[in-house]
Amino acid sequence: MDATPASHPILSCKAMTCEMDSVSGPLQILQDINFSLDTRRALGIVGESGAGKSMLIKAIMGIAPRGLRTKGRIELDGQDLSALKPKQRAKLIGRKVGIVFQNPMSSLNPFVQIGRQIEEAGCIHLGMSKAEARSRAIELLSFVGLPDPEDCYNYYPHQFSGGMKQRIMIAAALICQPDLLIADEATTALDVTVQKEVLDLLQTIQAQRQMSMILVSHNLGVVAGRTDEILVLYGGNVVEYGPTSEVFRNPRHRYTEALLSAMPAMDQPAHTRLRTIPGQPPNLANRPAGCPFAPRCPSAQAKCHEVMPAMSAGVHPSHRFACHFPLAEIAHVQ
Amino acid sequence: MSSDIALNDEIILEVRNLSVSFSRGGKEMKAVDDVSFSVAAGETLGLVGESGSGKTTIGRAILRLLPDANTKSEGAVRYKKTYLNTLSSTDMRHMRDRLQMIFQDPLSSFNPRRNVEDIVAEGLVIQGKPASERKSRVEAALSAVGFDLATVAGRKPHQFSGGQCQRIAIARSLAVEPELIVCDEPVASLDVSVQAQVINLLQDIRENRNLALIFISHDLAVVKNVSDRVAVLYMGRIVEIGTGPQIYERPAHPYTRTLLEAVPVVDATRKIEPDGKRTVMPSRNRPQGGCAFRSRCPRATQICAETVPAVTPAPRGQMVACHHPHDEPAPGMAVRTQR
Amino acid sequence: MTDIGNSPAFKPGPNAKLGDIVRHAMPWSSKMKLPGATPFEFLAAIFLVLLVLVALFVDFIPGLVSPKLPYGDFSQLPEWSLNGLFGTDDIGRSIFSRVLYGARTSMMIVAVSTTIALVSGLLLGMLAGYYRGIFERAVDLFANALAAMPSTLVVLAFVAVTGPSVVTIIVVLGIFDIGTYARVAKAGVISQSNRDYVLAARAMGATDSRVLLKEILPNLIPALTAVMPTLMAGLIITEGSLSFLGYGIPAPAPSWGGMIASSTDLLSRFPVLIVGPILAIVLTVYAFNTIGDYLAQRLNNRERES
Ligand SMILES: Nc1ncnc2c1ncn2[C@@H]1O[C@H](COP(=O)(O)OP(=O)(O)OP(=O)(O)O)[C@@H](O)[C@H]1O
Ligand SMILES: Nc1ncnc2c1ncn2[C@@H]1O[C@H](COP(=O)(O)OP(=O)(O)O)[C@@H](O)[C@H]1O
Ligand code: SF4
Ligand code: SF4
Ligand SMILES: [Mg+2]
Ligand SMILES: [Mg+2]
Repeated sequence: MDATPASHPILSCKAMTCEMDSVSGPLQILQDINFSLDTRRALGIVGESGAGKSMLIKAIMGIAPRGLRTKGRIELDGQDLSALKPKQRAKLIGRKVGIVFQNPMSSLNPFVQIGRQIEEAGCIHLGMSKAEARSRAIELLSFVGLPDPEDCYNYYPHQFSGGMKQRIMIAAALICQPDLLIADEATTALDVTVQKEVLDLLQTIQAQRQMSMILVSHNLGVVAGRTDEILVLYGGNVVEYGPTSEVFRNPRHRYTEALLSAMPAMDQPAHTRLRTIPGQPPNLANRPAGCPFAPRCPSAQAKCHEVMPAMSAGVHPSHRFACHFPLAEIAHVQ
Repeated sequence: MSSDIALNDEIILEVRNLSVSFSRGGKEMKAVDDVSFSVAAGETLGLVGESGSGKTTIGRAILRLLPDANTKSEGAVRYKKTYLNTLSSTDMRHMRDRLQMIFQDPLSSFNPRRNVEDIVAEGLVIQGKPASERKSRVEAALSAVGFDLATVAGRKPHQFSGGQCQRIAIARSLAVEPELIVCDEPVASLDVSVQAQVINLLQDIRENRNLALIFISHDLAVVKNVSDRVAVLYMGRIVEIGTGPQIYERPAHPYTRTLLEAVPVVDATRKIEPDGKRTVMPSRNRPQGGCAFRSRCPRATQICAETVPAVTPAPRGQMVACHHPHDEPAPGMAVRTQR
Repeated sequence: MTDIGNSPAFKPGPNAKLGDIVRHAMPWSSKMKLPGATPFEFLAAIFLVLLVLVALFVDFIPGLVSPKLPYGDFSQLPEWSLNGLFGTDDIGRSIFSRVLYGARTSMMIVAVSTTIALVSGLLLGMLAGYYRGIFERAVDLFANALAAMPSTLVVLAFVAVTGPSVVTIIVVLGIFDIGTYARVAKAGVISQSNRDYVLAARAMGATDSRVLLKEILPNLIPALTAVMPTLMAGLIITEGSLSFLGYGIPAPAPSWGGMIASSTDLLSRFPVLIVGPILAIVLTVYAFNTIGDYLAQRLNNRERES
């Protein structure tokens, strides 16, 4: 694993599109998604509820609901997933990717000891022996910070708090020594103090195990300072994609900027009026022709309603955004 | 005592030594422990704390909405000149047009079978207002939250988005023209863009109608924005209460600091360095002696294990329950900027 | 009319086709709103609608002979005429006619017993679920006691003492279902009273009776309608068994169970005589259970969505 110091993409999506039928016609759930994540890097995916964050993850993992039609090319560690048979694909994903979902209550089986649930994937994908899997599980339990891991191995999910369960889910995601760890809103249901601990843990693990990581959240603060790149989704489109610090320092897309200024900030005095984003996200069954944000955008002009803006780069070549009238570039202070 | 006295003198709600315990499976659990505070007309008091700290229980105890079967509460709740906790249930019902509540999940706070205008009119129907008056008040309440009765009439709650539902819930409370609204995590289920609308709306209403709000939330940034004063709860007790600037700029209680440090903020210049801390939550069924926070507290000493800290004035004027309160500005708070 | 239920003419192939045939043959049936129903569930619903229509209007079916007067001779084989379709019974009455009139008896028993059980069960269940405490314990005890009793035997014993009469049967059958309705209502009230909308109504100053009747009751209806058909199927079976044993609906009133009983003497020589009443019971019970499953499934889906 350490033999390749030069980073190469662990995951890349090219022109990925997802569609699904509904009573009101076909839904364009994701449109033309392009990104690539290098080894040992962390990617944040942000967007409002319904923006398509979870669908993107599920489509990549091959666990999307039935009826979802995925087009485009998804490469995991250099292999084109669509070229593989479903079984091989599941095996590859199972070995290379670990995932932690938002709700630990529904991801853990209440009637099975947590130790066994952690081992499961290891036994299936790596063919570990019972004893080997057990010692690995115990090692991971102590690694994610559970006290008395040997005792914990035999406990049932209800004996743990929400934060503890999320640590257990992380341990389960790590059993196959994945190259990529995905956390879909993994800390959303937790208290701020526990959320911080779990995020810290994820970040530590990523560094120690030299993994790549995808942090999905609707909370921009969760990904800030913890990811290298950030992907902003709006109504199933990538609207901005670039280095996290760049995007937050100098958002170029109008939606990203609106989202940032709608957040109450800790340094504003009480009763500061917040900027709002009027209107609602696009109806996926009946998308506007031009920019998906145009009906809500204060800077929208005629062109925005007619022509879909393409992704283009700013001065920083890896900072890309899809806006006809982007915000001005702010020079680097330095 | 300075900061517990509300900003202006017209105190409309006073809670004294409120304790609530629930019995669960034979065990007693003290969800709220000896809590006292007051709210003035037109003032917003923020209640923050982690989940299970007793925020919702306090809100519901004030409005007497806790289940009778397994609840015991003590202490006094005074609304203007009336002690709510000793009223008969009929008299309490007559007080309810002045005290209202907004819930975390707006959709589940509506009867799924009603349409919007009936939902908003509900309180007026219960009060026995004539139909003609109802219609005009429903219309006024809906327009206060930015809806037009004619366009929303006849629609069912599930046809509205989360933010719209929360606005309808606010309209329902406003229709009875209350003087105090308990808002229990009213924006927790909303997206940032929608959250901003609802917060602004609550602020407008508060100003226009001189409404008092008790604003419950676990989001410290939201609480900072809406509150005049803030009370921090830890395991059923108020550990610190003071004005917004006191609490946010010079938090005296170590727990308040822990909370503030954990808030995820958008800061382009900062790379977060993870620390390996892991908190062990103390049991609520078997409370330890002394300060409840001591197993997590970096400043804990012998005395913290022996005596429960009393609520005393801190150097900056807020009230704090700690043997070793802080008196320096919170690290990073003054310089931490949005972007 | 009868071949709707015993549908051999349709030759149910792949499910979708069956549904198309039904919809084509009975265009009015597409007015019935059963989202997501399979063709069999659809057929069951149609069957039950027809059954109710027959029960209400059997007197007006043209050409149908009286169920009480002799029509032919049991030793004749069934003939292809309306009245002779299932043959004639031991004293020569048209079995077809008696099956249709039997539907009226069965439906009447189902309707009245269910009303008794539903109203009392709902009342008990709502009190138990809302006030808990002593109410809950009393209702639980009552429901469990009823559930523990073998209902057919107890009704049998009861009727043996009082003598068979329609009223006794209806009342006793109704009492046996109170427990189940009470339980469902109680569970519904308990789950609904923790919902915010009930708290919201209380915060508005609603009285207990308003909360129970206006807020909670309408939301209990889906769960109750989902258990109702299954309980109704049970009523048909119990009533059939009682009549079969001679403790049910007193002769000469036509009842399906009684008809099976009276045909047993002739059964070895004319087994065909039992077809009509058996078919009626089996199809009705099947249709009720199918609709019950369908409603329960839909309720389940709806709860998972919310
Ligand atoms: N099973 C499904 N059938 C049809 N549409 C679906 C389904 N699941 C999701 N969608 C739609 O796909 C879009 C994207 O959903 P997704 O769950 O990815 O959103 P998200 O960004 O993860 O939001 P959240 O923050 O609420 O988790 C939404 O418009 C949603 O309504
Ligand atoms: N009806 C109830 N019965 C038993 N325990 C309850 C009940 N309501 C709340 N609790 C308990 O009381 C404590 C405080 O709860 P709550 O006030 O809801 O906290 P918060 O709103 O701060 O998250 C929790 O431990 C909770 O489990
Ligand atoms: S393309 Fe036009 S409508 Fe879209 S975000 Fe940019 S300015 Fe606004
Ligand atoms: S009283 Fe002691 S343990 Fe409690 S918060 Fe203060 S310093 Fe920490
Ligand atoms: Mg999601
Ligand atoms: Mg709460």
